[in-house]
Amino acid sequence: MEIVVLIKPVPEAETRLRPDRGGAELDPAGVKFVLAGYDESAVEQALLLKESAPGTTIRAVSLGPLARSEEVLRAALALGVDHATSVEEPPGVAHDPVQVARMLAFVVSRYSYSLLLGGKQSGDEGSGCVPSAVAEFLGVPDFGSVTDLKWDPIAGRFTFRQSLERTVLSVEAPPPVMIGLQQAWNDPRTAKLPMILRSRKAPIDRVPRAEVEALLARHPRPAVRAVSFRLPPPRMGARMIEYSSPQDAARKLVRLLTEEAKVL
Amino acid sequence: MESSRGSLVAESLEALPLARSLAGPSGEVLGVAPGPIPEAEAARVPADRIRVIDPAAPPGASTAGAAFSLVEAAQDSNASLVLVVGSARGRELAGRVAARWDAGLATGVTEIRPGTQGWTVVRPVFGGRATQELALEGRKAVVALRPHAFSPGSAPSTPPVIEHRAAPTLPPLATGGGVSAEAPVEAGSGPSLAAASIVVSGGRGLRSAENFHLVEELARSLGAAVGASRAVTDAGWRPASYQVGQTGQSVSPQLYVAVGISGAIQHLTGMMSSRVIVAINSDAQAPIFRVSDYGIAGDLFAILPALTEEIRRVRGGPSAPASR
Repeated sequence: MEIVVLIKPVPEAETRLRPDRGGAELDPAGVKFVLAGYDESAVEQALLLKESAPGTTIRAVSLGPLARSEEVLRAALALGVDHATSVEEPPGVAHDPVQVARMLAFVVSRYSYSLLLGGKQSGDEGSGCVPSAVAEFLGVPDFGSVTDLKWDPIAGRFTFRQSLERTVLSVEAPPPVMIGLQQAWNDPRTAKLPMILRSRKAPIDRVPRAEVEALLARHPRPAVRAVSFRLPPPRMGARMIEYSSPQDAARKLVRLLTEEAKVL
Repeated sequence: MESSRGSLVAESLEALPLARSLAGPSGEVLGVAPGPIPEAEAARVPADRIRVIDPAAPPGASTAGAAFSLVEAAQDSNASLVLVVGSARGRELAGRVAARWDAGLATGVTEIRPGTQGWTVVRPVFGGRATQELALEGRKAVVALRPHAFSPGSAPSTPPVIEHRAAPTLPPLATGGGVSAEAPVEAGSGPSLAAASIVVSGGRGLRSAENFHLVEELARSLGAAVGASRAVTDAGWRPASYQVGQTGQSVSPQLYVAVGISGAIQHLTGMMSSRVIVAINSDAQAPIFRVSDYGIAGDLFAILPALTEEIRRVRGGPSAPASR
């Protein structure tokens, strides 16, 4: 089986978010971009499938500023991914999921794959629509919010569950298929030192920026422009309810939620 | 619009009044239903027309077919904006429709207004820790709405005109998949997290799995979904599907009640865009109080049963069994 995993470099979870000087974007100064969240889980899922189906190869593909995407690709290589492709992102398209998907589909289409894996959403902007847009460009079916993904070698099908808002579906799908992974392992494997060292020297296939720029030039689109990046107004801290008994606390809270916040 | 078992889901009714107000008095609103819906329901929809795609795609099909029908509807009506219900499938559908229709795209949107060109939208990012404002500058845009960010409207004075369209026949390669089983979400546990307008989550402060029922009883009294912090799912008190936070579900309900949750970034990334946050914790210094609207510091084993009882009293539900 050949698996392609799409991974996006995102700011570390503990990053202190702040707008840049223009106020339109996150200020990237001092921010460490890492493999995290659902994308990290997608890599873990690919490795689990590889362990269950010998002969499987995994290729990770990442789009972004080169230094950032190659950093997450090296993290994936250190975890046991076999091949890596970096796609240098041209300026001005980071907020346009359709152009992002177009570039990813363009690159993925040069590989053979039975499974395309991604997180159900990225850890930063979290738009959750890139996997399905990639699938649309490639003409393959896609399934999001997926857990319990397995390969059934006898039936030649993937089996998985799709956790939707009101129902959980057990689905079987033949390859090729795009899967947006809902499942997150809180403790995915960590890379071993020899693998980290080897990943530093591992080759990464690069798609030059000129190639994707030529692609985008063939499909010009009106811009998706960042207008502002704001932090929510600092919450003033909770209004602490003073009470004489648990029943008193309950009565006061219910009254506030009903009459002031109007959420009950 | 989205339906579940032949009925429109509540979030569909949030998208339509918004479409009506954005279209203005001279604009037209076309609702697209992904399968037949009852006539009484259709009459409540504030649209000029409803296009019913018949037959409905089987559950478990890829969104390719729905995307095809939606793009066809957008082209037929020369639409400038396609609003999509912001469910899990809705976001997937939005990606396909925008790719196919070559339109601007934003998901998880909480505000939308006409821009100088196209549309300006606001969406929470980083799990609600920040908001992003984007200008979609083209003539065509696809926008998936954040659930509960918009109010459902009232029924129109004139019911919409219903039209029928045949579902497309797509090559199997594009649709894939078949469903072998379908189970309603967590039977008996109330609405699922992502769709719920109230969420009650429990954390380490409950001390053991045996105490978690206190959270569930409070949730039941409120008609809320039950969530948990990572500490709870890691300890196996509840399955991973309950987890709210960075590696779990992102939620944005009207009311979020955090019980015995200290407020680690892992958890805050996932619930910070809730409209009103209530924290109940024994530690008055817990960081969760800094991001909450209302706080009760104290013994949650005494406060939770009292709160459940009070909500049942106010809502006129059955009285609670004697608290332990």
